[in-house]
Amino acid sequence: MWSQVKQQLAESTARFLTRFANLLPGLAALVVALLISIVVGWMLAAVVRRLLSSMRFDDRLAHWGFPSVAEWSPMKSPILLVSRAIAALVIVTGFLIGIAAVDAEWTSQLARSVVAYIPNMLGAAVVLLVGSVVARFLARSVLIGAVNLNLHYARLLSLGVKWMVVVLTVAMALEHLRIAPGIVKLAFGILFGGIVITLALAVGLGSKDLVTRSLERDAQKASGDNLEEPFRHI
Amino acid sequence: MEVEPIHEQVQEITEQVDSADLVVGVLAELGQEGLAALCDALQVLPGSPRVVVLRDDRAAKPDQSSVAEAKLSSSSCHLIPWPLLGSATPGTPVVGTSAAYQAVFAASEKFGARACCVIASTLETATPGWIRELAQPLVERNLDLVVPQYARRKFEGLLNSSIISPLMRCLYGKRIHNPMGPDLGLSRRLFQKMLGPERAAGVGGNPVHSLASVAPAALCENLEVCEVHLPARIYPPTDWMNISSLVAQILSPIFLDMERNAACWQRMRASVSVPAIGEPVLVSQDTGTVDISRMMESFQLGIRDLQEIWGLVLPPSTLLELRKLARLPSEQFRMPDELWVRIVYDFALAHRLRTLNRDHLLKSMTPLYLAWISSYAHDVETAGRTALEERLERLSVAYEVGKTYLVSRWRWPDQFNP
Repeated sequence: MWSQVKQQLAESTARFLTRFANLLPGLAALVVALLISIVVGWMLAAVVRRLLSSMRFDDRLAHWGFPSVAEWSPMKSPILLVSRAIAALVIVTGFLIGIAAVDAEWTSQLARSVVAYIPNMLGAAVVLLVGSVVARFLARSVLIGAVNLNLHYARLLSLGVKWMVVVLTVAMALEHLRIAPGIVKLAFGILFGGIVITLALAVGLGSKDLVTRSLERDAQKASGDNLEEPFRHI
Repeated sequence: MEVEPIHEQVQEITEQVDSADLVVGVLAELGQEGLAALCDALQVLPGSPRVVVLRDDRAAKPDQSSVAEAKLSSSSCHLIPWPLLGSATPGTPVVGTSAAYQAVFAASEKFGARACCVIASTLETATPGWIRELAQPLVERNLDLVVPQYARRKFEGLLNSSIISPLMRCLYGKRIHNPMGPDLGLSRRLFQKMLGPERAAGVGGNPVHSLASVAPAALCENLEVCEVHLPARIYPPTDWMNISSLVAQILSPIFLDMERNAACWQRMRASVSVPAIGEPVLVSQDTGTVDISRMMESFQLGIRDLQEIWGLVLPPSTLLELRKLARLPSEQFRMPDELWVRIVYDFALAHRLRTLNRDHLLKSMTPLYLAWISSYAHDVETAGRTALEERLERLSVAYEVGKTYLVSRWRWPDQFNP
């Protein structure tokens, strides 16, 4: 019996070592593919960075109406964002090529699911980009409009509007990515409602002075003792 | 721009009047008597020119039917209802007014007129004679542009006094007190330029606004310009809720024109006066104190909340000076003219570079404009006529002195940033 156990152990060890030995070239190929993709990605990123710098891409992007991209970028530089995204893409491609050397069937399944997910990722990225631009635009509009109306809570109002749009955008992006949709809907509802109630309270309480002043002006007009405003602009 | 009369009742008259020497577009509210007096006044112009008076038919009161107006017409003065303000949209009165000017120019071209006038104001102590004075230099002396010089009250026409007039003087080298009229007289040569395809195309996709472009077009082409002394205008009361929209609507076409005429104004150096016709009309000046608390509050709020936006437009040194100003008590508040001039120039440059959305840019300038008005109000609240003129002359000189700053930043916006 003992000899049978020894034989089984020897056979399983041999099987494992054989399979591992079969895997080794694939693993070596994966490591080589990763190393090559890292080098190529780094070189490509350097070339793109230099090219975009010579085009003053950061300034141009702001000039084209996308200044908010800088906020989302590493070190506030869209050039770095683009070059690093390209490097990451090359490295991921190298990784997929390396995986294919290990197990072709598993890789094709992985590649299929990754490719199928790409439109969702692109959609989410576009939603985030547009949302950030819209949030910034609306926040500025509200801020400037509120300051010109002499509202003391202009910044709060502007921030509220900005976060409303940001929360809406992030919820839409997560919905696109199909990440915990149930929780996202619930969290969005709570956050959005919370911001609206906060703004309503802030504006309602802050508007007391405005309403009082407005009523005083109306009362002065009605009693006819309103001093004529001398300033005429155009 | 295609402009067609819309009432069939006056179609016959329009067909009869196939040409005219002078076309007068009336945008101001003139009653039947006023229109009749206007015709009478224009008939005594030298050479008895054939005159067509265009009355905005949509602004006409219900009792002024087209036929009734047509009956006012005589052999040499035809009164025709015309859709002058047809394209005006609510909330954008300046755009609507510019469209009305363009309609008058188009009608003048249609009638083959030698000159045209636009009457958009109601004046204090006015007789229809003032309209004749506006038209006379065009007909008699073949001048190209006649602009009004209204008798000035210290707190009226503030956008004109603080920005438009001194900026145009410094840019185009001619001291015109009211370059944007709104009452203007133009020769055929000038209104044809205003109708040209180049102007119809606009600047970078933005439409050219006739009212803001008239004086720069005349000055850049070295056309003959003169001023006519007129009584004080009656200004509409200030709508404080929409002051920022007003600032944006007025300044946007001016800054667009700066972009368009950059080659012209960068050549101009010192300024000279233009000939003035008539005697200055004296008006009484109030010398009481004025309440500037609302404007100061706007500036303080701007300093607190808009610095992030101003930081994109103004250099750090200017922001620092503004912060210092904000700490002054109201009665000591004075904004130096040099600072104000640099602010205007920096906003003009940011408008050109599209540093941020143009509407946001111009509306964010409003608290700074109100700060300058507050400072000016302190300076002139007890001033008489002469002191007022001296104060505004100092501002104009500051604009001229600061022109090198503007030219440097305009040419090298990245390199030259103090």
